[in-house]
Amino acid sequence: MLSFLPVLLLNAFLACVCASSDYHERLLLRPLPQSTLLASFNFRSNESSTAIEQQNFRYFPRSFAQILEHAHTKELHLRFSVGRWDAESWGQRPWYGAREGGTGVELWAWIEAQNEEEAFSRWLTLVNSLSGLFCASLNFIDATKTVRPVMSFDPEGDHTNSSNLHLLHGNLPHEVVCTENLTPFLKLLPCKGKAGISSLLDGHKLFDASFQTMAVDVRPVCDSNDGGCSLQMEQSVDMVLDIARSKRPRDNPIPRALPIGEIECDTSKPYDAEDTCYPLDKKVEPAWKLTELFGRPLKGACPLTEEMGDEGESLCINTPPEREIQVNTTGQYSEARTALDTLRCYKLPVGADFDLVLPEQKMTTGLVRAQPQLFAARSVNGHGQERGSVQAVIRNPSKDAVEFVYLESLPWFMKPYLHTLRAHVDSLTENPVKETYYRPAVDRQRGTHLELRMIIPAASTLILTYDFEKAILRYTEYPPDANRGFDAPPAVIRILSPYLSTDKKGIYLRTTPLLLPLPTPDFSMPYNVIILTSTVMALGFGNIFNLLVRRFVGMDEVSALGAGGIKGILAAKLGRLKALLGKA
Amino acid sequence: MPANQQTALLYGGAAAVRLLLFTAFPSLPNLLAGRVEVSTPVTSFKRLQEGLFLYTHNVSPYDGGVYHQAPLLLPLFSLLPNPSSHPFATNVVFTLVDLLSAYVLSQIAESGQSTVTRLFKSSRKDLRWSSLAVAAGFLFNPFTITTCIARSTSALTNLFILAAIAKACQGASLTFLLSLSFASYLTMHPLLLFPPLLILLYDALAQRSKSAPSPLAFTAFHILGLAVVIGALLSASAALTGSWDFLAATYGVRLLLPDLTPNVGLWWYFFTEMFDAFREFFLGVFWLHVASYMPGLTIRLRKQPLFVAATLTGIFAIFTPYPSIADAALYLSLVPLFRHLFPLMRYTFLALATILYATFLGPAFYHLWIYAGSGNANFFYAITLVWSLGLSIIVGDSLYAALRDELDVERPELRGKEVKRI
Repeated sequence: MLSFLPVLLLNAFLACVCASSDYHERLLLRPLPQSTLLASFNFRSNESSTAIEQQNFRYFPRSFAQILEHAHTKELHLRFSVGRWDAESWGQRPWYGAREGGTGVELWAWIEAQNEEEAFSRWLTLVNSLSGLFCASLNFIDATKTVRPVMSFDPEGDHTNSSNLHLLHGNLPHEVVCTENLTPFLKLLPCKGKAGISSLLDGHKLFDASFQTMAVDVRPVCDSNDGGCSLQMEQSVDMVLDIARSKRPRDNPIPRALPIGEIECDTSKPYDAEDTCYPLDKKVEPAWKLTELFGRPLKGACPLTEEMGDEGESLCINTPPEREIQVNTTGQYSEARTALDTLRCYKLPVGADFDLVLPEQKMTTGLVRAQPQLFAARSVNGHGQERGSVQAVIRNPSKDAVEFVYLESLPWFMKPYLHTLRAHVDSLTENPVKETYYRPAVDRQRGTHLELRMIIPAASTLILTYDFEKAILRYTEYPPDANRGFDAPPAVIRILSPYLSTDKKGIYLRTTPLLLPLPTPDFSMPYNVIILTSTVMALGFGNIFNLLVRRFVGMDEVSALGAGGIKGILAAKLGRLKALLGKA
Repeated sequence: MPANQQTALLYGGAAAVRLLLFTAFPSLPNLLAGRVEVSTPVTSFKRLQEGLFLYTHNVSPYDGGVYHQAPLLLPLFSLLPNPSSHPFATNVVFTLVDLLSAYVLSQIAESGQSTVTRLFKSSRKDLRWSSLAVAAGFLFNPFTITTCIARSTSALTNLFILAAIAKACQGASLTFLLSLSFASYLTMHPLLLFPPLLILLYDALAQRSKSAPSPLAFTAFHILGLAVVIGALLSASAALTGSWDFLAATYGVRLLLPDLTPNVGLWWYFFTEMFDAFREFFLGVFWLHVASYMPGLTIRLRKQPLFVAATLTGIFAIFTPYPSIADAALYLSLVPLFRHLFPLMRYTFLALATILYATFLGPAFYHLWIYAGSGNANFFYAITLVWSLGLSIIVGDSLYAALRDELDVERPELRGKEVKRI
């Protein structure tokens, strides 16, 4: 049981930064437990800043660069995510979570502006333009969904040339990420999904994955030696495929039980008989091939990638050395083994299909999964549509104390009570919260922004709770499916120390979003409400003013006084007029 | 039993009931503080705690959507120990506020202004309850007790309104101005009580000194005094919070109703369902409607200013944007001052039945809507309509009785006869 996997080195190896006009792409496949497979696509293009100033775009997409320039955005991170990374069984997140977003759409950017108002108006320009570019509802990121994080994010790029940078962060947890977001994503690539590893990306498989996240990251990179800067765009897709599910043929996607004769039964079970069978867990790695999993063939290398050195190896698979892998292609390819043979990289042929075939195999060694530094789960407690409390359970399994920042950005209609915030560590009596940044929500104007810097001692669990109240909205503010509830964005956790990553990207994890059922009015009866309320008010008003403006007379005097009201007044006027005429 | 002993027994009993409820059911205050019928966004104790927390941590409580109460409450309550760990001091303060309110209410009753004023003497003036009975009616009113246990800050407003009325009855100018300013500063709408109470004060002073002061100078002096005191309170608040933001967060919220949390009033559901284009228009109409009662009542019942003030508190309990049962408790405790009108009221049973119906079914229907999910918002809305209807029946009926009582003095020959309004 050896086969140690230096995952830490692996990520560093893959993320080597080279600052010139160039383009790289790489796909890393890593089998995960329970017959799942992690596929990490990474596409990186550089364009020197002089070329961009001359509007000379080779690898960097022109449309994107022009949006960034127009919105004065110096660094941008955009995420489209679906599903949940199951850290308990899959271990450490790809890229240490730095290329991952919360469910839905997440966007944060550093914008150059003189003041906050200007930064915000440029931010609105940015989200509206990106909304068009990515066919996503990014334009719904308004002031209520924007926060300005203080501790949670640091710029990845070199911003020595820019001053007055403003960080803005927006979230759309309700956004459904789908094929229409993938197509523009692929269009940004130099090979546009026609060749290279991006030819594997198919909406049907990508959005059927147990977890998938698409990321676009733009940052300026400066060479410390010659001072030349370039703009780097990194696009990545991380997906966890269920091998059995992905292998289902498209024309027959419903799994059916095999005839009993074809199943190998576990005869040790007491109920095993002629007609009952418990399938034997064969403890083998399942067979798969790329074409089967991704539903389309890998159409060779993208001809625009650098051919030199190991940067040209654009497909890597991370398995124990004993795993059998067959290559199926008609073109020229080469294979290289690194990291104690646990990493096999292939230089793809140009213009010919390439396929990896892994047969079913009984393994004697497994891969060592890197343990994440923290596990986090967040949920809503309480019942009813009026109020509740949020509970975040953050567990530190490691032997070191972990310092982290916890960022919550909540919608305005979820009103947290900060005086009820309690952070409790079972092994500790002192407060684990070291620093708090809180900006309360204002109705319909901005959301809540809460950042906490906390420390969890080794091998302990931190429980964070706070109460909140749900507002009732105006009936036009509810979405069409009001009774489904509203989504609250995931909490973002950034680990400050111990810092295991080797670059500036940071270590992140995100919780799942929350679903808040809000009290709803009856949408069918605005007219009825207006009428009924007005009736009650009219009853009160009419009754009181009727008493105030009239005078009392005895019942027997009524006839003597004549008719009251308008009739009486008219009669009196008429009488006076008659008298006047009679005189004259 | 001597009167002193009775008084001691009454106040002691009322305090004991409250403190017993506080200590015997430690979760009751928080439960009641969360009830929409008791705590509104502008009076809730939980929101006050949040405001206090932000205030003591140097975050402006007005730069947020939770705290909508007056700034001067913050330093006052920050003197007390943290109510979540040491609730006793806060409980005692709220109990004392209730006892003080009862005391000033008994002063109002003792002044006799409800039956005999300078210009009017009711023919039924001997039919009245003792001041002790009126105070008991306030102290043991379940609505008052609930408000006290929920530690809603409307208890403070009620105290200042009652104090303003009592001081007007006694002809104490300065304390009247101070109490009315505090009440208006806390919740804004008690400002509408100023004209009737000014008349009450004038009558009380004129009655006492026999030579009435010049009405014009008197009015000008008191308007100026009120403006000065309120101005001082607002400036002190601005100095305390460092900006004028609190105006929008306190009075702005009452005027514009951004927080639509359900309450027993008529506004919240109306503005939840209102079309966006008409929102501002109806806000204006609703506020105008609330304000319109004051001139009409003051002019028509010029001879009975105390009755006008009491009726206005009833109007506030029905038609203001964030009413709670605390406002109804205030009105219902002022009604017994007019015991002599009870024989003239026509719909007492109907009104009481409606109030009881709403009291018992309100929480049940709210539960059905919010927790059980078997009812919808209309259930609770319907109950708030019934509640408002019940209170407006009492207001209208007592107004009828007061006018009829006046008629009996003006035209004694009509006494006991059937009358008609023309």
